[in-house]
Amino acid sequence: MKLHEKILTHYLSCTSPVDKEGYLFKKKERNATYQRRWFVLKANLLFYQDRPADRHLLGVIVLEGCAVRRSESEGQFAFSLVFEGPGLKTYRFTAGDGQTQESWVKALLSASHCYLSLLVRDLGRQYEEAKQQQGSGASRHSSSLSALTQPTHFLPVQGRAAVVREGRSYSACPVLQTQSTPPKVVAKKSPKLWPRRNAHVTPLNGPAPLYGEWPLVGFDPLEDFSKLHDYYGQEVKKAREEWLRRRRAEDECIDGHLIDLG
Amino acid sequence: MRFNEKELVSLSRQPSEMAAELGMRGPKKGDVVKKRLVKLVVNFLFYFRTDEEEPIGALLLEQCRVEREDSQSFSIAFLDEAERKYLFECDSEEQCGEWVDSIVKASYEFMRKNLIFYRTEIHRLTGKDPLEQYGISDETRFQVNNGLQLTPRDTCSL
Repeated sequence: MKLHEKILTHYLSCTSPVDKEGYLFKKKERNATYQRRWFVLKANLLFYQDRPADRHLLGVIVLEGCAVRRSESEGQFAFSLVFEGPGLKTYRFTAGDGQTQESWVKALLSASHCYLSLLVRDLGRQYEEAKQQQGSGASRHSSSLSALTQPTHFLPVQGRAAVVREGRSYSACPVLQTQSTPPKVVAKKSPKLWPRRNAHVTPLNGPAPLYGEWPLVGFDPLEDFSKLHDYYGQEVKKAREEWLRRRRAEDECIDGHLIDLG
Repeated sequence: MRFNEKELVSLSRQPSEMAAELGMRGPKKGDVVKKRLVKLVVNFLFYFRTDEEEPIGALLLEQCRVEREDSQSFSIAFLDEAERKYLFECDSEEQCGEWVDSIVKASYEFMRKNLIFYRTEIHRLTGKDPLEQYGISDETRFQVNNGLQLTPRDTCSL
């Protein structure tokens, strides 16, 4: 298949800002060595070259249909992009330090077109609701009423920038319907359709759906986005608790080394 | 330039609402219209020979200009080369309109602009940054244009 490279390189060099760039070590597939490369993330494309000033691009990774995983078993500050499907690759990287690793994982988690698409729809709905609330009057009475009737879509996710979560970006997003922005508010689906929606969430510890079983056609992203975040938020919670536990254990060790001069 | 071809081919096989047989003509002099299965998936336009599994090619739909050429055909120009256009011939005016609309809205940059707009407006209307609950407020890709980040301190008076 021909990828029209000039279009990609042109996009990379155009005026819109880059989303993230920096050095990472990329594992060579053949001989399992790591090579330092300069990576540039823009939209759902991860470009790489030898050095920042190089005009020659070595390659690009299209970030759709891959999971971003922290992989400490591969080495310190290691993470990978796992494409699920028969014969598809896993790209492995290591960062220079923990902060770099966390910030790359976070950036890559929110890089896919699918993710952005869900986010835009979710925010579009919030915008409509916010506008309606404004329109219904500024009096406290009416605003408290609308707060009561407002469905709770937003489940706060634990964990801040420091916590890394596993997640997937989905391929096969439904293309946006022909409608003027902002989109209309979509009616909630009836509960009897819920089991079908849950089936769309790829189990984290289970096998990926078989090729050809990729979901998303006809699903309601407005419901699923906060559900997805809540779902992965549980992983975040666990990871966070573990991290706190480890920290506390480390702190105890450190205290143990202090000489008591008192 | 290397790229993850297998993964991209796999992407091209995902279901898409915008997939149809269109007449397609390349941008070079001497290119003729050929029947192709054209498919829009995320911000890529894939094109296949009819009944072939693997696409012939993939066009990234960023930094391009989509234009109506006449009632039933549209063009896409890349690289700021207004003269070098890909031409697509549809079966109807309606279909043509749907394609143009879909391609414009499929662009990542278009979506990003919308996101920034919503983020700014929601913050203005409610005093809250809608991205905070998802833990992505500080991601570079979601920052408002002038580089100012929305912090909880920036509460607008309601």
